[in-house]
Amino acid sequence: MTAHFVDLLDQLRRRALRMASLVQDMLEEACDAALSANAGLAERVIGRDNDVDAEEVEVETEVIRLLALYQPVGSDLRTLCTVLKINNDLERIADCAVNMAERASHLGSDYDPRELKDLQHMSVIVQASLRTAIRAYADSDADVARDVRRGDDAIDATYGQIIRRIIHQVGDTPGRVASHLDILSIAKNLERIADHATNIAEDVIYQCTGQIVRHREFGDGI
Amino acid sequence: MVTVEAPAATRNAVPYRTPPMQQPSTELPVIRTDRLTIRYGSFAAVRDVTIDIPRHRVTAIIGPSGCGKSTLLRAMNRMNEFVPGASVEGAIHYRGRNIYEAATDPVELRRQIGMVFQKPNPFPKSIFKNVTWGAQINGYRGDLHELAERAMRQAAIWDEVKDKLHQSALALSGGQQQRLCIARAIALQPDVLLMDEPCSALDPIATTRIEDLIDQLKTQYTVVLVTHNMQQAARVSERTAFMYMGELIEVGDTNIMFTKPVQKRTQDYITGRFG
Repeated sequence: MTAHFVDLLDQLRRRALRMASLVQDMLEEACDAALSANAGLAERVIGRDNDVDAEEVEVETEVIRLLALYQPVGSDLRTLCTVLKINNDLERIADCAVNMAERASHLGSDYDPRELKDLQHMSVIVQASLRTAIRAYADSDADVARDVRRGDDAIDATYGQIIRRIIHQVGDTPGRVASHLDILSIAKNLERIADHATNIAEDVIYQCTGQIVRHREFGDGI
Repeated sequence: MVTVEAPAATRNAVPYRTPPMQQPSTELPVIRTDRLTIRYGSFAAVRDVTIDIPRHRVTAIIGPSGCGKSTLLRAMNRMNEFVPGASVEGAIHYRGRNIYEAATDPVELRRQIGMVFQKPNPFPKSIFKNVTWGAQINGYRGDLHELAERAMRQAAIWDEVKDKLHQSALALSGGQQQRLCIARAIALQPDVLLMDEPCSALDPIATTRIEDLIDQLKTQYTVVLVTHNMQQAARVSERTAFMYMGELIEVGDTNIMFTKPVQKRTQDYITGRFG
């Protein structure tokens, strides 16, 4: 393979990282919009989705072009496969952020801010999880990626807690069902984002080691 | 219970065939090199190579120019003996017997371990004669036409030449000539086919036909393929060996070798970082 191909791979990786950075910003703003009922911020998140969609298509096109022209093997093949998969996960995360922003934009003011405590906690750990997954990708660090996988259980637990609280509160405040559903939807999107962050981490492990760890538990040679 | 099966060559024995060297177990490799070193004068082209060639599989040998892959291949049927100054240390066992023993008949060995070369090298004779010549001079007393048709069908060239069997083989295209050479090798009912870059002189369409053919041949023959084309090794072989500067660096399942090789030198070579 030529030095030119190595440069192209590097450019593609940097492009994926720029997209990751954009998606991270969208998530942060979507969380802020939801937690502070900031409609303007929510609109900004929604408006950035087209940029991510366009970038996803361009990155995918470039991956396909490089696969066709260079037929890479070994670590180069793993690098390209990883970009392709992470690209898809990032786009899905952006969609989730948009969903959150749409919910945030009509949350209104008829909810008790104290109800958002769990949601705030969840948003912090989900953002941290995505940040860590992207750092693992940037540094090609399988150990850091494994940390992301380990953290997913805590996120699922928090999500479960939010569901239980909402089920309890719906009976006490039947007039605010719409708000409860909005909060539930935001939590659901955060949970999905965490799953995508885990996917990214698993792809990083594949890129670094050649091991496909999806659907496998820790301790099973992972 | 260990199943003992005769080699393909003996199942379809022809009258002139000598008895097989050994009744093998299917568990054993067909060929095993044992700490093989091959020198041309004082230069060691192959160094201390131990590798198993499993039965009815395609094993590809890859590596940069001068790494010793063709030398290793040619040693498997003692073709290196034609190179002045070539010497061998270690052993190559074919079905359990060292082919460099004094008792081995190299002519008989080359009938059992056939070879296809980089450039198609048909004899300047008719298509029919090309395929039947080897059998004829070895005293084959069966139906030569039947032998030729069977070999040419196996080599996927019969339909293209059946109406011009007595025309010169030199009039065929490069791809057809190479398949004719494969038919010529098959006509001797070998056990193993050694292929030394058999597609390097062919265009992409002819290459595809040869690759398809290799895929079919492995059901009846053990194939060892030397190739510069890594994509070809990845496409047609089940096992790949990587050689560098005369040493065997790594050998394993092709799928693994081309996705997550163990050795850094293999990784660097297949991704074009050197060589």
